[in-house]
Amino acid sequence: MKSLSPALASLANVFRVPMSMAPARPSVSRVCHETLNRQQQKPGPVTAALQSASFSTTGAMAKRKSGGSTTDKRITMIRYFLHHPLTPRPLRFSRNRYLRHWTIHRAWQLFQAQQRRKQELELMRQYQSMQEACEELRTGAGDGGKLFRVSMNKKGIFTDMFPIEYARMQTETPPAEGWNYDWKKPERK
Amino acid sequence: MAHCERASKPLLQCLRNTYSRGIAGAQLQTRAFQSTASVREPEAETTNQPFHKAPDPSLVTSPRLERRLLRQGTAPIGSRRRRAALQDSANIPFEQLPYQCFQEARKVLLADREEKLKEIETMRQRLARQESLSVEEAGGEKAKKSRVTAMQLHLERLKILADINDPLVKRNFEDGEGDMSKPIYRFLADRKWREYRRKILVQRITQMKVIPDVLPHCDPVVDTRMYFGKRQVQAGEFVEARASTSAPKLDIQIFEGGEKLVTIAIVDPDIPNVEANSFDYKTHFLAVNVPISATSTKVDLSKLLEDSQVVLPWLPPVAQKGSPYHRLSVFIMEQKNSRPLNFEAIKAKETSRDVTLRTLQASYHLKAIGAHLFRTQWDDTTLEVMKEIGFNGANVELRRARVEPLPYKRRNPSSFR
Repeated sequence: MKSLSPALASLANVFRVPMSMAPARPSVSRVCHETLNRQQQKPGPVTAALQSASFSTTGAMAKRKSGGSTTDKRITMIRYFLHHPLTPRPLRFSRNRYLRHWTIHRAWQLFQAQQRRKQELELMRQYQSMQEACEELRTGAGDGGKLFRVSMNKKGIFTDMFPIEYARMQTETPPAEGWNYDWKKPERK
Repeated sequence: MAHCERASKPLLQCLRNTYSRGIAGAQLQTRAFQSTASVREPEAETTNQPFHKAPDPSLVTSPRLERRLLRQGTAPIGSRRRRAALQDSANIPFEQLPYQCFQEARKVLLADREEKLKEIETMRQRLARQESLSVEEAGGEKAKKSRVTAMQLHLERLKILADINDPLVKRNFEDGEGDMSKPIYRFLADRKWREYRRKILVQRITQMKVIPDVLPHCDPVVDTRMYFGKRQVQAGEFVEARASTSAPKLDIQIFEGGEKLVTIAIVDPDIPNVEANSFDYKTHFLAVNVPISATSTKVDLSKLLEDSQVVLPWLPPVAQKGSPYHRLSVFIMEQKNSRPLNFEAIKAKETSRDVTLRTLQASYHLKAIGAHLFRTQWDDTTLEVMKEIGFNGANVELRRARVEPLPYKRRNPSSFR
């Protein structure tokens, strides 16, 4: 048997989908396919061609006032799956339980907001400290800002090609192997 | 009492006692979420008497005791199944329910609330300091005013943020027991009103063209309900002439703190004027200096004071037969800076009912903060009401003047022959 991820496995459990490929409950795609096939067999070639117009979801026969089926197959299918005995019942809470749920939800949202705020402040602090360092270099080094100007000079950087090592995804944490002190920018050939 | 109940009662009482003792201990440790103490039922009284002598309406289950309670005039609370379940429950207050995640969540929320309360305190001090500064120190009148206003807004916001995560506040509000003198309940009520009722109201007054017809603009910020007798009238509903012979009652809910003085005007912009082939305005009611606040919302227009509030008393609206329906628009207008208007001067000046509301609004510096609308048309009772109020023109039926079709639209013009 194929091993599934835990999320998929729990979903499969909820919807009673066995891990083997033969489904106990009719799968959505199969039922849809059959129903739509049945619907499309009736009309003649002209209407079939009309129905294949990509921008309209209404069947040409269904659009006519008289004649044609008035029931929408999509609605039939929604109803079929909604009231299927194997569909899990909707989540219903008692008042107290809903309030507890709400409390927990609000606390979680609040916690996340606090975390985001902390991160933003940290980023702001880092940026400002970098800016201060640059300012110090510019004014406090005593060379009239030469060092600062040289360090800010972007000439020859990233003008031709990126070193492939720079193509690392931006992440919150440093890489697993740490800083490679031996790395040098590859010389231009 | 059922046998099983009688058998299990001592055990249950024992359990209940131990539980309540445990809770009392817990209550000392954990601070209640709200500053106001939660109301707990006094249990000592019920233990003095046996249960069958003084049955508790929230716990009684046997039909005999229920009947006795009903005879005494108190209905048992909830279903019998619920009452039976409550009998052997520990009756723990909501905020102490022993669910781990819930308790952890409450800890987070309580910490946040503490933080917000501290912020409120510092904000108050900063606001007081800012207000005590002189104009020169603050850097000009305008700068000082804008800073103080911003601080006040921030303070109000903090007050709401401190309480908005409290499940008990939510429960109280949903039960309709919210205390409108507190900002959080006013905020919740305002949000609820804006979600549905205000949208309906704005749609009605704009679709029925009250807004450009009576007043050029209105942004409703107070919730207005209207009652004729005991019946509530939805915005734009047709009201029978008989029902509207006496002045309506209004329920004006403002969502800000403090008291406001308002002017209430009911205007009909649809009085047919046959000579001019147009429509006239008529003020059916005008009252000034009506005090409203978030907690005192009821205004009975027939009980306002004749000598200090009512400028034009209630005139029952009637629609002549054949005239299009009349829109009776109610406007709640805030007086400038909530200052009382000079009643005698207005009473002496505004004797005519034909003055438009725009004129009144301009001359007394009013600002429309609330609106409502009902309609009236010719119905079975209109004739009697007309006779009662001495309406001249009761025996007239209006008919539309025939509009001659333009020559090129005529069915059979002579040029065709």
